[in-house]
Amino acid sequence: MRRLALPIGMVIALTAPAWVWNPYHLHTLIMAGIFAVLALSLNLLLGYTGQLSLGHAAFFGIGAYASALLSVKLEWSPWLGLLAAIVLPGLAGFVIGRLALKLRGAYFVLLTISFAGCVSLVSVNWMDLTNGPLGIPGVPPVEIALPWLPALSLRSKSAYYYLVLAAVVLAYLLCLAVIRSRVGRALVALRENETLAASVGIDATHYLVLAAVLSAAMAGFAGGLYAHYTRFVSPEVFLFTYTVTMVIMVVAGGKGTLAGPVVGAVLFTVLPEALRELTSYQWQMLLYGVLLVAVLFFMPEGIWPALRAAGPALRRRWRTS
Amino acid sequence: MKQAMRALFVALTAVAALVAPAPAQEAVKVGVIQPLSGSVAASGNYVRMGAEIGRDWINAKGGVLGRKVELLIEDNKSDPKEAATAAEKLIVRDKVPVIVGAWGSSMTLAAMPKLEEYGVPMVVETSSAATITKRGNPWVFRISPPSEMEALGLGKYMKDLGIKRADFLAVNTDWGRGAVGAFGDLLKRSGAQVGTAEFMEQAATDMNAQITKVKAGGADTLFLTTSVEQITLVLKQAQEQRLVRKVITTGGSSSPSQLIKQAGPAAEGTYHILFFLPWFPEAMPDGKLAKAFVDEWAKRGHPFEGLTEGFRGHDGVLTAVEAVRIAGKPDPKAVREALWKVNVMGVNGPIKFEKDGPAGKESGQSKPSIFIVQVKDGKIALPAFAAKK
Amino acid sequence: MDQLLQHLLNGLLLGATYSLLGIGLTLVFGLMNVVNFAHGEFYTLGAYAAFATLTLASVHFFVAIPLAIVAGALAGAVCERVLLRPLRGQSIDTVMLVMIGLWIAMQNAELLGWGGVAKSVPTPFPTQPMVLGAVSVAPLRIFVFVVSGFLILGAHLLLSRTKLGRAMRATFQDRETAALMGVSIERIHTITFAFGAGLAAAAGALLGPVFLLYPSMGDLASLKAFSVVILGGLGNFGGAALGGLVLGIAEELGAGYVSSGYRDAVGFLIIVAVLLLRPSGLFARAERVG
Repeated sequence: MRRLALPIGMVIALTAPAWVWNPYHLHTLIMAGIFAVLALSLNLLLGYTGQLSLGHAAFFGIGAYASALLSVKLEWSPWLGLLAAIVLPGLAGFVIGRLALKLRGAYFVLLTISFAGCVSLVSVNWMDLTNGPLGIPGVPPVEIALPWLPALSLRSKSAYYYLVLAAVVLAYLLCLAVIRSRVGRALVALRENETLAASVGIDATHYLVLAAVLSAAMAGFAGGLYAHYTRFVSPEVFLFTYTVTMVIMVVAGGKGTLAGPVVGAVLFTVLPEALRELTSYQWQMLLYGVLLVAVLFFMPEGIWPALRAAGPALRRRWRTS
Repeated sequence: MKQAMRALFVALTAVAALVAPAPAQEAVKVGVIQPLSGSVAASGNYVRMGAEIGRDWINAKGGVLGRKVELLIEDNKSDPKEAATAAEKLIVRDKVPVIVGAWGSSMTLAAMPKLEEYGVPMVVETSSAATITKRGNPWVFRISPPSEMEALGLGKYMKDLGIKRADFLAVNTDWGRGAVGAFGDLLKRSGAQVGTAEFMEQAATDMNAQITKVKAGGADTLFLTTSVEQITLVLKQAQEQRLVRKVITTGGSSSPSQLIKQAGPAAEGTYHILFFLPWFPEAMPDGKLAKAFVDEWAKRGHPFEGLTEGFRGHDGVLTAVEAVRIAGKPDPKAVREALWKVNVMGVNGPIKFEKDGPAGKESGQSKPSIFIVQVKDGKIALPAFAAKK
Repeated sequence: MDQLLQHLLNGLLLGATYSLLGIGLTLVFGLMNVVNFAHGEFYTLGAYAAFATLTLASVHFFVAIPLAIVAGALAGAVCERVLLRPLRGQSIDTVMLVMIGLWIAMQNAELLGWGGVAKSVPTPFPTQPMVLGAVSVAPLRIFVFVVSGFLILGAHLLLSRTKLGRAMRATFQDRETAALMGVSIERIHTITFAFGAGLAAAAGALLGPVFLLYPSMGDLASLKAFSVVILGGLGNFGGAALGGLVLGIAEELGAGYVSSGYRDAVGFLIIVAVLLLRPSGLFARAERVG
């Protein structure tokens, strides 16, 4: 059953534009994909090093701004913009990782919150660079320009869906590679017992900085994808609610598992839209909060681990009945 | 008791709706995107209330094209991303031929690519950023004044106000920044000096530092651009610090009635630029319509303070439905063509679009009426100079 | 010079309320290891409770404030019993996320119940400012400052002089030993959370009349409380009290002399600097409560 989950999920994901005929639903899926990359990136830190970054919206926002500004002001190709959306947040992640190398737990949380707060204020107040609260409208869409073909615009929804899907798969494979490697084992060792890990020669700083850089670069890439999709970037990308949404997806989905954040991202992107359908606006956010509490109350480890545990239990009941 | 009556009324209308024969044809849908939760929820809800009055009035007169008008109201949660999603949902899923929204400029700007993508027009009812109509998005039709237009509206009173040097205190958003620029230009043009420009975050509650700084400069006037909540706080805190300035609030959302109620004597003498005068409906371009709107608002138990914001919802829906009527069918492209032909009397005044932005892809911009009032002896008054003109 | 004095006074008055907010949060974190994202909602609750008793039940202003504190403490106790106790032993992230859920739910329930329109609380104080030489201040703000001071002092005495306070401090230092010594950890947790929520509600009831009431008012309060807590050191009572004053004055001077747009950046920068230079807080000797 578990071996079938991945292929079935992939087939569903690959054929989605064929049967999701409604562009609004496809839009929801694209947003879910962007958030899945974000959740995977946060999970790399939270799930595998145990360090919670509550400033992850900063990397997302830096990526979005980098790509938007380069392609609007300097008229770079959006692809180069997306590359910058990986490199610049990665650098920021490096700086934060180095600065925070002595800090753990709650102190790390607060450092990342403060970092995000500062970056957000810069985006509002540095008018010359970021256009301040007015934001940057008119971010160009991504195009594939092959020399012998007319430029193929990824403006269409299903094309962009595949771009985002590719990004999710890439992010997933990257996380998988990291976790299966020596690096991943070192990270888990550090999470479980840092003193012990250090005593067998694992350099905590080195691995934590590496995780921070990878995580920030992934979040930045998601920001770039977001900028070229919504084609408008404003300081709201730094909103704390974006970080909170990522944390919800990771923890409620199942931190420290690979599939958990993806499941969480899809679920918690679809949920607000489902609530939009089911109830009037007064109740949507209230129900969202209540449902969140309920999910954690009954599945404190997260949805994915709970599902995995429920699978064999159900099967056993099948057999005995 | 009043609430029980209202509940009974609602229940009765619900029963009536169930009993009444189903309409022969499907209703004409109008999308509404407003911030109904989050930091500016109060304003968004007022606009929604106004939009509902607009809908009910139109339906009472038989609707449009012989069909009822139905509002599909979506919350953008004061977040641009949500505004874009809401626009997508309204256009794609609900197939609305026209949208009214999305209050804040950043929310409107985020929704605008969706309009272009699917070709659906939007009547912009509140946003003030100049870029909205300058970007070459031919699906945007704005009935609210951009800051520049508002500054021009104040221009004719500059001599009467006798401003020599003015400071600015504004919320750190597109709106606040835009107002500082536009009114700064106005001051320079009319030969007055521009002092310091201070900003505050949207959620800030303590503005003492900014006020102390303003006090240290020697200006005679303070332009204040922010939500009514922050204006209240600024006025109260300015009084605590004995800041003596001619205060002029801009943006038109700043319901002075609420200020009098909540800031008390601190609001005395302040000037307010408004787009609706619910205290003197007869002074509006269409006095009868304005009076009827004020009465209906009161009848529904909505707070009086919300009127200066709520009328936008009415005018937005009125404009959208009028365009549907001219188009003869609820089709987005036909409605966009028809919006250019709209010439209708709203609560604010005549609504008629002129071309704005790059040639060939112009957006529509109406020229709203702009007024100024003063708080005098705890009441709203038309300043002597404005009453004359 | 006049301007500087006024800035300092503003900062001091503001800082005292930051302290009040920070103390509750730091106690809950120190004792229970709970990152309480709903802290600001208890602040909002206190403010609305004061408003409700004042305008609907028309009790006197000086009665409404203690009532609001009691309401906040009760709500805190209920929340601890219903939500936090069953989750004890779960990871700190899970509990934090539950508090985030509570924060979203409470805020939107307030929006539903009270509407988004700001409300103001009437007070018996004159609005005319008191003039002290070059500076001026509203009587209400003096009242808020004094009451905040007394509440902080009272909390300190409770922690350092009473049997309950000793049990709380013992729990903070070593939960297992305290339990062995006959301290009921469950009871201490309920009391601590109720205590923290009550202090937040007190801040809300006091600041509600100074500012305005609206459903999202707690967000800013939470943010400030977190800044104060880190400034003073996690779980450090005295640090939070001092940290509040430092933050209030620093923000005020930053906005006054640097740039008002970057006002909140001052707090963030202090936090980053403190974390990097003195990670255990500005005023830490050894981590302790009381």
